[in-house]
Amino acid sequence: MARRPVSVLLGAGVAGHFAADALRQAGFDGQVLLIGAEPVRPYDRPSLSKGFLQGQKEADALFFRPEAFYRERDIELLLGRRAVALDVAARRVALDSGESVRYDKLLIATGAGPIRPRLPGFDLSGVHVLRSLADATALREDLAAAERVVIVGAGFIGCEVAASARALGRAVTLVDLLTAPMGHVLGDELAAVYAELHRAHGVDLRMGRRVVELRGQGRVEEAVLDDGTRLVCDVVVVGVGVRPEAGLAADAGLAVDRGILVDEHGATSALDVYAAGDVAYWWHPTLGRRLMVEHFDHAGMQGAAVGRAMAGQPESYAPVPSFWTDQYDTTLQYYGYPIGWDQVVLRGEPSAFAVSAFYLVGGRVVAAAMLNRPKEHRAARRLVAARAAVEPAVLADPDTDLRALAKQLAGE
Amino acid sequence: MPGSSDDYVRVMPVDEIAEAEIYEFEVDGEPRILTRVGDEIFACDGICTHEYAELAEGEIEDHVVYCPLHGSGFDLRTGAVTSLPAVTPLPIYDVKIEGGQVFVSRRPRGESGA
Ligand SMILES: Cc1cc2nc3c(=O)[nH]c(=O)nc-3n(C[C@H](O)[C@H](O)[C@H](O)COP(=O)(O)OP(=O)(O)OC[C@H]3O[C@@H](n4cnc5c(N)ncnc54)[C@H](O)[C@@H]3O)c2cc1C
Ligand code: FES
Repeated sequence: MARRPVSVLLGAGVAGHFAADALRQAGFDGQVLLIGAEPVRPYDRPSLSKGFLQGQKEADALFFRPEAFYRERDIELLLGRRAVALDVAARRVALDSGESVRYDKLLIATGAGPIRPRLPGFDLSGVHVLRSLADATALREDLAAAERVVIVGAGFIGCEVAASARALGRAVTLVDLLTAPMGHVLGDELAAVYAELHRAHGVDLRMGRRVVELRGQGRVEEAVLDDGTRLVCDVVVVGVGVRPEAGLAADAGLAVDRGILVDEHGATSALDVYAAGDVAYWWHPTLGRRLMVEHFDHAGMQGAAVGRAMAGQPESYAPVPSFWTDQYDTTLQYYGYPIGWDQVVLRGEPSAFAVSAFYLVGGRVVAAAMLNRPKEHRAARRLVAARAAVEPAVLADPDTDLRALAKQLAGE
Repeated sequence: MPGSSDDYVRVMPVDEIAEAEIYEFEVDGEPRILTRVGDEIFACDGICTHEYAELAEGEIEDHVVYCPLHGSGFDLRTGAVTSLPAVTPLPIYDVKIEGGQVFVSRRPRGESGA
């Protein structure tokens, strides 16, 4: 009797979940093992900094699917197990439980881990990072009793936590070397709008500044900035970026450069080993370059594409990457390639926090970010997908019908 | 609802429905939306399955309705998710046209999407 082929999915997060579902949808009838270090089945990570932190959503509401979903599809969940070694010659993964799992095909979807600065005092209690449900639970408990919160890093996580902490009525100081929140991704023009938004909600913004030390007796009591300013606080949240969890792959000899290198099918340099999501540094075939994307939609879509590839149905994965961020009563939708820009065009009303930003390279639209402008999402996405050449003045003109323009320049 | 029978609810005259426009209506207090793509009329739940947003504020492109909040896409024919972040399919309702009026089924079509 032929042995049932085994697909092992390492990391029961966003990419792992969508890969497992896609494997079964594509008709794979071998064994599917979804292994994850966290003790819980896959859940909606983006809610951690938003609804969950604000107490509007409980953990039960975060799971993608009930347990029965996995049971019915014969997807075996091995939770609370961390992979500690990978042997690609023997096709085995060693787990911290002492178990060793053999695979025919393997997906590495281990995501990314928050960077913890090696600065004095960052190991005090009351200092948090935010990646997992356990992190979010601990932060939520600490916030309940806190008065003053200092947030180190004005990236997406830092800004969302700032908004959530304000919603809870806490005093919030947001510190970053950037000139404005999320400026490295959104550009100075749109970031300036976010600076106003956070100020309007009472956040004390300290831009162009760095936290150099945290002090306290066992528990954090103050943050010290590079100009000597001392900020009294009882909770600190560190959101200074993430690092791909690629150590296992690197140790096993896979090609790794920042993330695990994969081709347009998610295949790594090792036979029958794939990677997807935050951990992958992937080749975008129509763009003709590698991208590192650390967002939900990509993790889910690439996970699903790799699941189909593992089931014998490879397809070229060439998306327009997208993400969103929700802060206070605003939502931002972004479509585009994270490849930089040489010009930013704003459209709409920045002062009303309803504005779209278009990012151009050589006169072509490579990305667009819509803050509270939902009716422009699809047209903007089309312009990005076609990398359309558009006059900046036409884009900025409120009388321009964006949908008509997209139709004309990007076709049906 | 005026003109409702047990299984179907009358919504509006068919010739008032413009291509790719979204029309809101309610059945038993629950929001639904209606739209037209080519010659076909589609009806589905009015609230996105991801978090909470009114799809009436969203957009129609090809056979997909897009949520205004985080851009989830749902196939109007099956309810299947075509764009993340939504995970759960959108309930779809059957549509019939009688005497120039659009009628929509009160109950969603049996397990649809995927
Ligand atoms: C607080 C927060 C808010 C976010 N908000 C948004 C948002 O609004 N919009 C957006 O687009 N994106 C958002 N993101 C990003 C998005 O959640 C990630 O891009 C996405 O989760 C990546 O999916 P992944 O499967 O690659 O990794 P993950 O979802 O992180 O899953 C990886 C899993 O692998 C496990 N793992 C790691 N190493 C091992 C090992 N050795 N053995 C076993 N298991 C292992 C981890 O514990 C984890 O459970 C947010 C992220 C966070 C943390
Ligand atoms: S609520 Fe519709 S995509 Fe999030």
